[in-house]
Amino acid sequence: MSTPAALNREFVLDALHEVIDPELGYNIVDLGLIYGLDVDSGVIKVTMTMTTPGCPAQDYILSGVYERGISLPGVRDVTIDVVWEPAWSPQKMTPLAKAHFGIQD
Amino acid sequence: MVTLANRVSRWTLPAFALALVNFLLAEALILAGLTWPARSVSAPGTLAAVHLLVIGWLLLLMLGALFQFVPVITARALASQRLALLTLLAIEAGLAAMVGGFLAIGRHPALALALPAGGTAVLLGVLLAIFNLGVPLFGARPLALPGRMVLSGLAFLLVTVALGLSFALAFTVPPLAPYLAVLLYAVGDHALAGLGGWFTLTAMGVSYKLLPMFMLAPEERGVAGECVHVLGAGGFALAVGAGLARVWVAAEALRVAQDSGYMAIAIAVMIYLWDIVRIYRTRKRALIEAHNRAAAGAFGFLGLAAALAIGFAATHRLGAGAPLIIFLVVFGWLGGLGLTQLYKIIPFLTWLTRYGSNLGRGAVPRVQDLVRERRSYPWFALYFLGVLLGAACVLAGHAGGLRPSLALVTLATVGLLIEYWRAWRGHYAHGRRDASAPPSFVSNQRG
Repeated sequence: MSTPAALNREFVLDALHEVIDPELGYNIVDLGLIYGLDVDSGVIKVTMTMTTPGCPAQDYILSGVYERGISLPGVRDVTIDVVWEPAWSPQKMTPLAKAHFGIQD
Repeated sequence: MVTLANRVSRWTLPAFALALVNFLLAEALILAGLTWPARSVSAPGTLAAVHLLVIGWLLLLMLGALFQFVPVITARALASQRLALLTLLAIEAGLAAMVGGFLAIGRHPALALALPAGGTAVLLGVLLAIFNLGVPLFGARPLALPGRMVLSGLAFLLVTVALGLSFALAFTVPPLAPYLAVLLYAVGDHALAGLGGWFTLTAMGVSYKLLPMFMLAPEERGVAGECVHVLGAGGFALAVGAGLARVWVAAEALRVAQDSGYMAIAIAVMIYLWDIVRIYRTRKRALIEAHNRAAAGAFGFLGLAAALAIGFAATHRLGAGAPLIIFLVVFGWLGGLGLTQLYKIIPFLTWLTRYGSNLGRGAVPRVQDLVRERRSYPWFALYFLGVLLGAACVLAGHAGGLRPSLALVTLATVGLLIEYWRAWRGHYAHGRRDASAPPSFVSNQRG
């Protein structure tokens, strides 16, 4: 199956902005939780982390990533790999997210 | 497809609900004048209120929190969700029997057996909880500091409940009656093991994980955290152990050991408070949420209780000052920390159970959308003001002023309870009282 022209990394990342970390109340992309993202032949491969291991919201966030990804046109599957190295820190946030939380570089 | 594994403790919110009801019942007993200071510290009403506070309110609050918190720090599930339910049932039923037994003292001798029966049920509930929490804790060794502090706290919980049960047996089983007078000397050790070794050590351990997590501060506590744990656990063990031994053996060495334990506890509390200030100061999150702002009041009361305890000990008035210190620890430190943290935990668990499965499929609110923080601040302020006024009255020798002060505390408790209820019902998220309808807005920020 060929990948639709619009289905690329940027398109998927844009869609994942709609998935939030409920505790921090901010989207997972700008929080810096997405470590890697590839799109190949309609399959989205996400490598991501959580703000802390054992987070009770982990499965809900993973489910959110899957549901948002699989809803995109042309997507056949979404695979998610959760990693803990390197550990997440607030420094991984985008400047916009840092500004939201009042974090200085 | 991602399967939603059960990472949410099913019985944590019911435990909080029961705990809050018990807290209100205890406050009602005090306001009705059935307890100290209107009656003696050993009056039936006082004993009933004290156990409603420490078992009904604080124990259920802490166990409910640990049923959710221990899987977070160990990344392992509880041994059984069903055991968590049995724990709640055993403790609440046991507490009801104990309160009935206390209130029947001197009036209905036939109900006297309710005390050891209730105590046994509470002990059973506690043993179930220790097993349920111990399985993930032992499975996740080597544990980080918060886990080790919780483990130490659970050991003190066992000692506390065992001591309590021995009091109940001596009180009601005639052949054991001669030991009652001796055992009563250990009531202080019972309180120290419970309020200090169990509640305070555990609360410190939990706060060492949650505060940095919520405020985006460094989690590693280094030497300071280790000192708090070693000095705290060692100090409580020494003070309680030597205190119990002194009930049977009059030895100068035991008194020195007991005083050394008190000193170690005081140092541990001071280091802990300094470390908490460090967490607040090194946080990355400039704008912190209401529960963390208000928690500063609870930390302040821990410091005040410790300072007064040191002052009373230095002037050899520790026994006379004990009711005030217990009041500050129960209402100011532990109660204050509990009420402030519930303001975050209840909306968070509500979000997980009510909205979590919609994430990625449509509009969902944020946890922050489930509360109106500005409405909580007057209640937190009133609560801590009431505790402070009550403590000031007792310290000034006007213990009668405690009841009016407790009226403020009770009013604030009711106010906060309404806010918790609104968060759970999705009152603010939906902008209307009907919480059954899905939220009608998207709250995701875009970078």
